[in-house]
Amino acid sequence: MGSRLSNIILLLTLAALFFFPRFVESPYAFHIMILLFLSTIVGTSWNIIGGYTGQYSIGHAAYFGTGAYVTMVLMKDKQIPPWLGVWAGVALVIIIALVIGSICFRLRGPYFVLASIAVAEIMRLSAMNLKELTNGAEGILATELPAFRIGGRVITDFVSKTPFYYISLVLAVVTIVVAFLVLHSKLGYCFQAIREDQDAAHALGINPTFYKNAALVISAIFTGIAGGFYAIYVGFVDPATVMSLDISVQIVLVCIIGGIGTIYGPLIGSILIVPITEALRSNLIAEAIFKTGMVSQESHFGSFLKENLAHAHALIYGILVVLVILFMPEGVVGFQRKLWSKWNKGLG
Amino acid sequence: MPSGMTVFFQAVLSGVLIGGIYALIGIGMSIIFGVMRIINFAHGDILMLGMYLSYYLFALAGIDPFVSVLIIIPIMFAFGALLQKVFINRMLDALPQNQLLLTIGLGLIMSNAMMLAFTSDYKILTTSYSSASVTLAGISISEPLAISFLITAGITALLYWFLTRTDTGQAIRATAQDAQAAQLMGINVKRMGMIAFGIGGALAATAGALISPTYYIYPQVGSAFTLKAFVITVMGGMGSVVGATIGGIIIGVTESVSSVCISSGWKDVVVFAVFLLVLLFKPAGLMGKSRM
Amino acid sequence: MAILELNHVSKSFGGLAANSDVSFRVEEGAIMGLIGPNGAGKTTLFNCITGYYSPTRGEIVFRGHRINGLQPDKVCKLGMVRTWQKVRPLTKLSVLENVMIGALCRTNSVKAARELAARQLELVKMENRADFLAGGLPIGERKKLEMARVLATDPQLLLLDEVMGGLNPTESDDIIQLILAIKERGITQVVIEHDMKAIMRVSDRVVVLNSGEKLAEGTPVDVVNNQLVIDAYLGKAISDGTV
Repeated sequence: MGSRLSNIILLLTLAALFFFPRFVESPYAFHIMILLFLSTIVGTSWNIIGGYTGQYSIGHAAYFGTGAYVTMVLMKDKQIPPWLGVWAGVALVIIIALVIGSICFRLRGPYFVLASIAVAEIMRLSAMNLKELTNGAEGILATELPAFRIGGRVITDFVSKTPFYYISLVLAVVTIVVAFLVLHSKLGYCFQAIREDQDAAHALGINPTFYKNAALVISAIFTGIAGGFYAIYVGFVDPATVMSLDISVQIVLVCIIGGIGTIYGPLIGSILIVPITEALRSNLIAEAIFKTGMVSQESHFGSFLKENLAHAHALIYGILVVLVILFMPEGVVGFQRKLWSKWNKGLG
Repeated sequence: MPSGMTVFFQAVLSGVLIGGIYALIGIGMSIIFGVMRIINFAHGDILMLGMYLSYYLFALAGIDPFVSVLIIIPIMFAFGALLQKVFINRMLDALPQNQLLLTIGLGLIMSNAMMLAFTSDYKILTTSYSSASVTLAGISISEPLAISFLITAGITALLYWFLTRTDTGQAIRATAQDAQAAQLMGINVKRMGMIAFGIGGALAATAGALISPTYYIYPQVGSAFTLKAFVITVMGGMGSVVGATIGGIIIGVTESVSSVCISSGWKDVVVFAVFLLVLLFKPAGLMGKSRM
Repeated sequence: MAILELNHVSKSFGGLAANSDVSFRVEEGAIMGLIGPNGAGKTTLFNCITGYYSPTRGEIVFRGHRINGLQPDKVCKLGMVRTWQKVRPLTKLSVLENVMIGALCRTNSVKAARELAARQLELVKMENRADFLAGGLPIGERKKLEMARVLATDPQLLLLDEVMGGLNPTESDDIIQLILAIKERGITQVVIEHDMKAIMRVSDRVVVLNSGEKLAEGTPVDVVNNQLVIDAYLGKAISDGTV
């Protein structure tokens, strides 16, 4: 796409997103957008270590969960407002990333993947067992959020979804900007060199340990921030939700489907997946089917749909991943690029 | 015998017994990795399918789970071979990480299709001997576990015979050692891949059938077993059948003893920690070499 | 001044001795040829010199500093760099980006690296391929790309591992011209090659390895007429005059 055209589209989209709350009232629409932004944040940050540096961590729930728990615990036990507490979460997440990196980066390819899973599972199980710290499997329920004040004036007291919308939108934009800057900096080139051929990069003056850890730390920071945000938005954390293998897998899937190693891949992947899965999960799709009258709610099939369609989102993940990996391994964005260059070649 | 010691020995013994079943799971994954160099993330979900097959054969036709193994093995062998032919075969030259992700996707499809079909309610398969136990030298052993172990031992022996004494088995081992050389020798490497997946699938499903009298049956039960299978396969040396057998028993005992000595909440942490240590310090596994 | 010194370097893997007691010196600015049959340990020696392996015994001294066991990236920053027997282009990056990776060894500025890289591409006459994906290049251009990439690291010593392997005579000639041009810039080179014509043309001195040991050393003419070398490696072709 022509660079000017794509910049215009970008600005228009951003403007539309900023003015969205003025025209839309449905809290449910807000909810989907917030989840979309969250998915974009974690996907884009995973991409830095996964897509650019080629280290497919399937254990990013470790960072998401740490951010979530620290923010939540500090707010509930020490009354520290989350916009301060999240930074403690970030600090802890950096330490954990460096520790995990020092263990896992000695391994390559699929062995690294397995190690990342093992480490994340150790953290999840620890969170389940260290009951004094985390309340174990029961999880932690948030108290009311403190109002956010600047100089004595209340900016928001978090009653509606609007502040959450804007915070997550800003975070998503920031994450994408950071990813862009990283990709085009020396860091980004070194990351990609490591992905392509670690030993060749090593012989060219690139220290793989340093750069892999750098990529992981950057990635972990934004994933941790997203976790902190999730905790206060949803108001509840437990190991099964914020530290599970499921979350780690979802993060990777969004990037695979959207386009690994591209800036907008995770965003596109999120757009493709989040609305559908939310609609399924909340029975919107089931209701829509019933409304058409094709299937009656009372019928056998109807009640089956009502009960089970909510759980079908993971099935959709699975089908999408299989299709994408088999036929579009570069993801939707990569596929679109290939089409585009074929088109250009044909025209020119 | 002082009761502390009895408890300990009991833990070790039941660890060995369950370890035999773990070994079955690990061997299946090891064979798949040995022949195709693919880490099968859907392995535990195939085990889950075996559990459900066993459950319904029992609930609808009254077939005892241990007998149903005879039916499950051919069915799931075909299933594994089919998976390989339709999906995995297209990805032979892809990045190993992408192959892994493909199997993750397949696993998600399997477990969630089962959830849609059968809901996530726990199913329980109770036979007449589900909670029976046998006493040996003052130590009490769960009867279904004991029978499972004997069946596992039998299957493992059969597998060993197959791999070492038959032409096909030796062709598989040749492919595992060096796929290119095997191809040059005239071995149909693609067919070996299908057979390897078939065997892996059959073994995983058999393990599922064997544990169905003593475990809760639900669609998500597979992932815990997949993770254990990794640990076992890596410990035993990726691709080594003997190693996976020993690895399975070690994991079974570690779990069982940890559960008694520390607490059942931490036993999985111990297993994963051992896994990491092996990955880091003895990546070729405890057996040393990748050899079937 | 000797820019590189190997003193009694040995490398064993388990029981297998890949290099045994190899010693020689490379004069600054010179071109040293390294020849020998396949399996003689030439690439292993390169791997030891550049830090990919740690020598089991002996010393590797670069510009007066002992560099045994130094990591490859540090060796590169000190000024010694190598190409690979089997080329290793960074396939999903463009030709220009590949060379930029080399340039980034010396600068943190992407812009400066891009300019440096463009100049190296001109040297190897590949400027028109700058945006081409490295993975799509034919073998001759891959070899030239690899040379441009290592040159971008601003080296003082260049180790070339069979850089002419698999090339046709025209391509080989291009590489020879390049090697001579590099010499003019004052960069020292150690060249592993099977192509004896090329070795004769470019080398100031030649070291012969056989079964991990140094068999002979001397000027190209001396080495080629050395009976031990003829028996172990060159065969009758040299004395026939066909090489």
